[in-house]
Amino acid sequence: MKELVSQATTGHLTIRIVRTWGTFMGFLLLLIVFSAIRPDVFPSGRNLKNIIEQVATLAIVATGVTAVMVTGDFDLSVGSIASLVGIVAALLMKAGHGTFISVIIAMILGTSAGLINGLLIAYGGLSAFVGTLATMTAYGGVALIASNGTTIFGLPENFRFLGQESVAFIPVSVVIMILSLGVVYALLEQTTYGRRLYAIGGNEEASYLSGIRTKQVRFLSFGISGFFASLGGIVLTSRLHSAHPQAGSPFMLNAAAAVFLGMTAFREGEANILGTLLGVLIIGVMGNGLNILGINSYVQSILTGIIIILAVLLSSVAKKRA
Amino acid sequence: MVVKEVLSIRGLKKSYPGVMALKGVNLAFKAGEIHGLIGENGAGKSTLIKILAGIVKPDDGEVTILGKSVQIRNSKDSSRNRLCFIHQELNLVTYFNAAENIFLGHSYPRRLRFFVDWKRLKAKTKEITDALQVRIPLDTPVSYLSAVDRAMVAIARAFAVSGDIYFMDEPATALTDIEKEKLFRVIKTLKSQGKTVVYVSHNLDDILDITDRITVMRDGTVVECRETLETTKDDLIRSMIGKSLESAFPSREGKAGAVVFKAGDIHNESIDGLSFDVRAGEILGIGGLVGAGRTELLETIFGARGKDSGTFTLNGVPFRPSSPRSAIEQGVVLVPEERRKQGLVLSRSIYENISMMSLGDISNFGFLNHRVIRNRSEEAGEKVRLKCSSYSNHVGTLSGGNQQKVVFAKTVLQEPKLLLLDEPSKGVDVGARFEIYSIIRDLASRGTAVIIVSSDFNEVLGLTDRILFIKEGRMVSLKDNIDMNQEKYLNCCYGRDS
Repeated sequence: MKELVSQATTGHLTIRIVRTWGTFMGFLLLLIVFSAIRPDVFPSGRNLKNIIEQVATLAIVATGVTAVMVTGDFDLSVGSIASLVGIVAALLMKAGHGTFISVIIAMILGTSAGLINGLLIAYGGLSAFVGTLATMTAYGGVALIASNGTTIFGLPENFRFLGQESVAFIPVSVVIMILSLGVVYALLEQTTYGRRLYAIGGNEEASYLSGIRTKQVRFLSFGISGFFASLGGIVLTSRLHSAHPQAGSPFMLNAAAAVFLGMTAFREGEANILGTLLGVLIIGVMGNGLNILGINSYVQSILTGIIIILAVLLSSVAKKRA
Repeated sequence: MVVKEVLSIRGLKKSYPGVMALKGVNLAFKAGEIHGLIGENGAGKSTLIKILAGIVKPDDGEVTILGKSVQIRNSKDSSRNRLCFIHQELNLVTYFNAAENIFLGHSYPRRLRFFVDWKRLKAKTKEITDALQVRIPLDTPVSYLSAVDRAMVAIARAFAVSGDIYFMDEPATALTDIEKEKLFRVIKTLKSQGKTVVYVSHNLDDILDITDRITVMRDGTVVECRETLETTKDDLIRSMIGKSLESAFPSREGKAGAVVFKAGDIHNESIDGLSFDVRAGEILGIGGLVGAGRTELLETIFGARGKDSGTFTLNGVPFRPSSPRSAIEQGVVLVPEERRKQGLVLSRSIYENISMMSLGDISNFGFLNHRVIRNRSEEAGEKVRLKCSSYSNHVGTLSGGNQQKVVFAKTVLQEPKLLLLDEPSKGVDVGARFEIYSIIRDLASRGTAVIIVSSDFNEVLGLTDRILFIKEGRMVSLKDNIDMNQEKYLNCCYGRDS
């Protein structure tokens, strides 16, 4: 019997490897292809650092979205929250408040916006898609009204620290990204809260009957998403050193795309932090590499879409074969 | 006269990662027979049926229908060869009505090519249900139908196309005895028309009652195939598990202690004034028919369903379960009816599932201590004699019996004062069933009060100390389980006695 089992398992080993490592191998392939076409520019240390800096804000936002998507929910409002938080922080700073206190107040506001999502969805019974679609629109409107629809310039110099400066040669934004990834990784893998998130994602009814406060857990996950969307919004505003009411919009789809890509990697069909990081890197490397090749950004959108379809398709084919 | 073999199978093989589900199965069904197919969970019955239904591709082997070798690549091939299936999960579209469901997947009668001819659809449905001699409301969405009617819809669906061989996988699980009789009548009608019915079930009494021949499967092979008339239940059990069972139930020991749980005049939408108590170490059975309010009673005690009035007492203090969580915290645990839907997170590991209910107790300020959790889970798993190669495996990879043991391990870890069991051996094979009964007894002997609801009345008769019979949410009688038998039990369920 034992012999039989090992035989049956090895027979499908290649498929298992493709299933869990396929997306990662695709990422490596992407690196190799870009390096081969432009060996002088793409693989240089400067460019790689550039990529990491470019994806840092997206990675921060996507870590929060991962927590929500672990339970099978969805958060469309992160882009609007990021924009709104940037605008609020900028307005407070322009009004003469200290940089630190402005950032903190804006972040509290953004996190509350996330908790409002949680209230509507976990306790109000709205579907995550409908709920965050509505708040996405509403929060976006608030950002536009608050800023009069224009970009806010002239922020204090010390606000450059988060998005533009480095500590010991490491950009502060990258430090924040690593901390965010680390915190959410620990939250998901090392705490009872993370266990409960995954349990709800697997079977909400069984979780409830096992004594998990499913509403509370889902409610909080939207707060987490709101917090990291706010943090991403602040870092972005600092990097641009200006606040635009729609600066965060690309986060909405890119963060979800990164998490979806990540769900095809390492674990089977579950959102996980390492996967999300990989998804963010794929999106970043694609954008950067295609820029270097001089391919215009419209074509880039098409290619990003195709890559997501390919990754999900391949992993589901591999799953069926097994 | 030589009876024709309508379908024969030679050397059928199928392996999944980690298991060989079928190891070369040889089998034949005759025309006009009712053929029982039995075996423990994981014996290969489901895989065999899925292959014939075209859902799963075999690795090797030959299927011959009416003397011709056939390839079954998909469900179309299967129905072309006049094979019909009634699967264990009913697979109904709940917001479609019976007629729409019955013709789902076959072609709806049409007008002008594109439009559904509702009149003819209804008429044709009526023809089918009349032929089966069943009455189902045809205009109501099936989600509003009773479990029985829904099962009947699923059965009627298989008759919407005329077939030669009908495969029924546990078709009677949701049915009461009277309704089961109805189903059996339908099956016998089919037989009289020269059709073949393959009946898969865990319920050996049903199998012995209705079949002509019985095939027993074990570990992916056919152990034996014999005439039903020459077979007894003990024979079947022996060949299913490969050894003899001393008795179906572990012996009772220990005496009931002090009153642990007390219900006083409970009212809600399904319960109408129930009062009873359970003692430490006592197993109380709730008797009654489907729809009597048994599951609802357990859900009310567990806090998953509210009550309008009445009081609960646990160990002498008022017990107010506002949610399952609050019930669990106060020491009351439920093993729910639908293991896969309500009891387990199939996509997570065994130890995560076992520790799920107790996470708060075995963590440090919200942080997991993986080593402690694994150890505690493994301890609990050993107590319920869980068999698995690794506690890191997904629960979904386990057999039904072992999955149920995981649910029990969850409760063992909680050391509940009151344990509520809803259909604790549903879909569990004979061997594992005995082990689950032992676990229940074991918990009781350590002082847990147990309330058990089961449609299998042998289980209630074999396990319990007292039985509370209810009907339409009201108490019919409360009996000590001494010289009770099946007949008395049924009479009490129908409220004829006392």
